[in-house]
Formats: sequence, C-alpha cells, structure tokens
Amino acid sequence: MVTNTRTPIRSHRLRPLNLPRSIGVELNEDDLPVTIAFAGKRRQVEEIGEIWRIDDEWWRDQIARRYVEVMLVGGGHVVVYEDLIGGGWFMQ
Amino acid sequence: MSSATLRALTSTHAACVWIPLFALRAEERRKPELNGKPTAVLSAEDSRRLWQVSPHARHVGVKPGMTVSQAIGLCPTLTLLEADPVHYDELFSRLLLKLGDVSPVVEPMELGRVYVGVDGLERLFGRPEQVLGVIDEVLGEAWMGDDERGGSERQGRQGGAQGRGTGAAGGSRGQRRRWGKGRKDGKTEGRKVGEAKSDNPRAKRTFRHSAIPSFRRGGSGVVWRMGWARGKFPSWVAATRAKPGNPVVVPNDQLAEFLKAQRIGALPLEPDTHQRLWQLGLRLLGDLAALPEQAVVSQFGREGLLAWRLAAGAIVEPVIGKETPLPILAPMDFPTPIVDQSIIANTIGKLIEQALRHPRRTGWRVRSVQVRATLEHGSSWMIDAVLKDPSASSAHIAAPLIVKLGQSPPTGGVQHLTVEFTAFVRGTKELQLFARDAAAAARTGQRRALRWAAREIKTRLKQSMLHHIIEVHPWSRIPERRYALIDFDL
Repeated sequence: MVTNTRTPIRSHRLRPLNLPRSIGVELNEDDLPVTIAFAGKRRQVEEIGEIWRIDDEWWRDQIARRYVEVMLVGGGHVVVYEDLIGGGWFMQ
Repeated sequence: MSSATLRALTSTHAACVWIPLFALRAEERRKPELNGKPTAVLSAEDSRRLWQVSPHARHVGVKPGMTVSQAIGLCPTLTLLEADPVHYDELFSRLLLKLGDVSPVVEPMELGRVYVGVDGLERLFGRPEQVLGVIDEVLGEAWMGDDERGGSERQGRQGGAQGRGTGAAGGSRGQRRRWGKGRKDGKTEGRKVGEAKSDNPRAKRTFRHSAIPSFRRGGSGVVWRMGWARGKFPSWVAATRAKPGNPVVVPNDQLAEFLKAQRIGALPLEPDTHQRLWQLGLRLLGDLAALPEQAVVSQFGREGLLAWRLAAGAIVEPVIGKETPLPILAPMDFPTPIVDQSIIANTIGKLIEQALRHPRRTGWRVRSVQVRATLEHGSSWMIDAVLKDPSASSAHIAAPLIVKLGQSPPTGGVQHLTVEFTAFVRGTKELQLFARDAAAAARTGQRRALRWAAREIKTRLKQSMLHHIIEVHPWSRIPERRYALIDFDL
C-alpha cells in the first residue's frame, strides 16, 4: 500500500480490485456449498467457516449477498457469496 | 533557504578528469615504494576479495573480484592493501575543492571521475588546452598536498592570461616544470588533427589530440587523464582515449566523427546489454548510430534509446554543479546564563544535529565548523575546528569542538550559543556507500530503480503497465468498492 499522494483521482483510469468472479456451486440441503468449480476445476469443500449477509445500497441498485467462508479439501481458503437479488454464486 | 544557494550551475562543454584505479593510486601516493610492484586493494565490503588491481598484477593474471588465495596463487609477490575509504574520500574531496577554484561547475561522478564545466573559461584562461593545463596544475597541487601555493599563483596567472590572450597558460608553465616533463616553450607536443593513430580502419580520426606541458607522472606514479568535449559523455570518452599529459580535445564540429570511431564499450550500459550489442556485431558507436532509432528502442528499451542518442551525439548532457552552500547557522538562547561545561557540550551536539538537518546541507559534508557564544557582561567566546575528514556525522564534527571546549572554556556564563558550518565539501555517489545513512541511500536507490523500471516499461509498451493500489472506500461493506488500481505516474 502506498500513501495517498493527493493526486486527483481520474475515475476512467481506476480499476477496482477484488471484483467478484462467477463460479459453479453444488449445494447441500442447507443451501451451503459442497463443491465449487472455478478456473476449470472442481474442488470439494471440507469445512464451512463463517456465514454473513450484507444488504446495502437499497437506495439505488440494491445489493444483497450471503457470504460463506469455505475451506477446501487439500488446502485453500476462499470466500464465496450468493447474489440474493440476481442469483448466482461468486468468489471474492 | 535562499533559492540562489540551490540553483544548479550548468555547462554544456565539459572537461572530464579521470583517475583510473583511484584507490590504488591513492595508496601508491602515500606509499611510493609500491610503485612498479604488483599490488591490489582489497574490497571494503569483503576483505577476502580484490577490488582494484595494479597493471603489474594484471599482467600475471590477477583480476578484480578474485579471492586473495587465488591472487596469491597467481602472483606470490602481490602486495595486498586494505581499503581506506576515508583516505580516498579525503583525497578526492581535496581534488574537488581545488577544481572548484578553476570552475564553479564541478560534478563528481564517482571516485576518481569528475566533470568540470568549462563554458566561459576560455575567456579567462585561453584555448581548451590551456584551460586543461590549469586544471592539470591544480590537480597536481591537490594531489601533492600543496594547498597554500595554488591560490596566489593562479591569480597571478589569470591576470597574465587576460593580458596575453591566447598565450594565457604560459604563465603557469614555470611552475609546472617543478613536476617534471612539461615543455618550457609552451607549445603543444602531442598529436595534431588527423595524426591520431587508429587500430581500426573504420575509424577516421579528425579530432584533436593535444598535449599540455604537464607532470604526466608525479613522483608517486600518479596519472590522470583528461578529455574535453561538448557534453559529459563525449568528454568522458575523450578522457578514456587520452594519455596522462596528453588530453584529448574534441571540437564541436568533429564530435560526431569522433564518436563514430569509438568502441561501443564506452557506453554506460549494463554488462548484459553490452554483451547483446557485441553479439549483434556492433563494435563501434558509429555502428549503433547507423541503426534506426526505433529499432534500437524496440530491442533495448529506454537504455537503448539513451545509448543510441549518446552514440549519435544527439543529446548533450551538461555538467551540473552545485553552488557551495552558504554557511549554516544553528543558534540557541539560554534564559539563564550557562556555566556547566557538560550542558554547553550537550548543546553544541544538539545544535550540530540541527544544522546537519538543514536542507542546504544535503549532498555536502562539513569541512569546518565554528562555535560562538555571547557571554554575560557582553564578552564573547569562540572555538572552531577544521575537519581533516569532512563529515556529516554529528559525533565526528563535535569531537574536536568538545576537546577545545575543555581546553579553553568560556570565561563566563553563556547567554547565546551559535554553531556555524562555515565550509563544505561535496559527497560523491560512490562514497555514499560508506555513509552513515546508507539505509536512506538504499531506499532512494530503490525508488530510483522503480522509476527507471516504470519508464522502461512505458518506453517499450507505449503505456504504463504499473499501477498503484489506492483506497477508494476502505470502509465499504462491499469488498470491490474498497480498493482500486490506478496507473503508476512517474
């Protein structure tokens, strides 16, 4: 991280970091991921960590997400979420 | 801070003074018995390896970077010398100080290499050869430690120069004879235009080799080489082609021709780049300059661009000097007069630290310092010190002052105390390796390297592919809103 240089931000040159990437998910009876597929690979979920929900920006394009922290078999720790408005699962 | 004190002085014409193997020459200067023997100076960072090697040692296969055991194996009579950076620093500083008497534009590049801005000096000293003669003389004075003699004699010579016009340097020759082999009649004795020897048939030499009556080798075997040209790079190349006592002067109208004939190794490039140029069959600067600029840039990036422009004589790098800073003052008033010597000594230390932090001091080391005090009842007190080894270390500067404070303390209570740095000498890039703030220098180097890399990428790809991470809404609950990338601006 660099210190703020106070240079005016030119929005057309901004590239947001940590954009959501669409993934494929198989769910269990509790609607929690059992396997997730990304980058052409399918990975088994070993353990579910924290689960939380955000609801924001209801005054314009509402955002509602259910986040799930996932431990993968063989190692790997990812955070995925379900888009509760538009549907679909994403990794972030 | 006065802006005038920080104004850069520049000169497009440069005289390059180069003392190859400076450390080794400095050792030979103080130990004349080493002359003509195979010697090597050990690395200051790794004393098991050689840093600089004398020609006699090279002749039997000893090379810089070798381990001591390898070198001794090749040359059992090799004399090994421990590096003495402080001594080299002091000697080089002395040379710079004396060169400052000739021209206000002096730019040290590394230990043993310095550029002297010579614009306007022809009106004072005469032709380039005569200016070089003056430089040669002051170098001799500094090298031999003859600090007192130069000033008044040079003033006399300058007066004579103005009176005699182009015969200016003649006034100095009587003194130069003192050092040895100079001609007394003031005529040049070197090669003239078109007479230069060439080992390459493609090299058409039309530049001027000139000789100044000079001590080419002093009693201690010291040599320096000088080149004169428009821009730092050509003057450096000229210096590398010069011989001690025979400077190379490259007139402006012959600069392109001169550069064409020089070897590609003269370019300030990374070793890998040199190797690639060699593999491409490029041997002379003229070979490189004959290629299209864009082709060189696409192959070698920014480094190639600079190399092409230097080889073609398309850019002129001026000598950039810095004006010697005005004295730096750090004063302090005491609400009640102070008599305790330890408090005074402590205050001197603090004031020295304060003065060292002054922006004007950046890039300069302190050569002389003065402490003045106003005592109660209106009397005054003063001590001063001239540092043998100019320094930017508060402890180093304070040490002689504390000794003098003990020897002749104030005769009354001190009401007002002032520390003043009265004279400075330049630092050099190479000497920063030995500086106390090496970590700061390293950070600066990293930033410089980053900027260089960014420019390189932009030159090659026409756009910056480097980005900063900036905070947009770091408190946002939505992760992708928190941070973003933005182009890395140079």
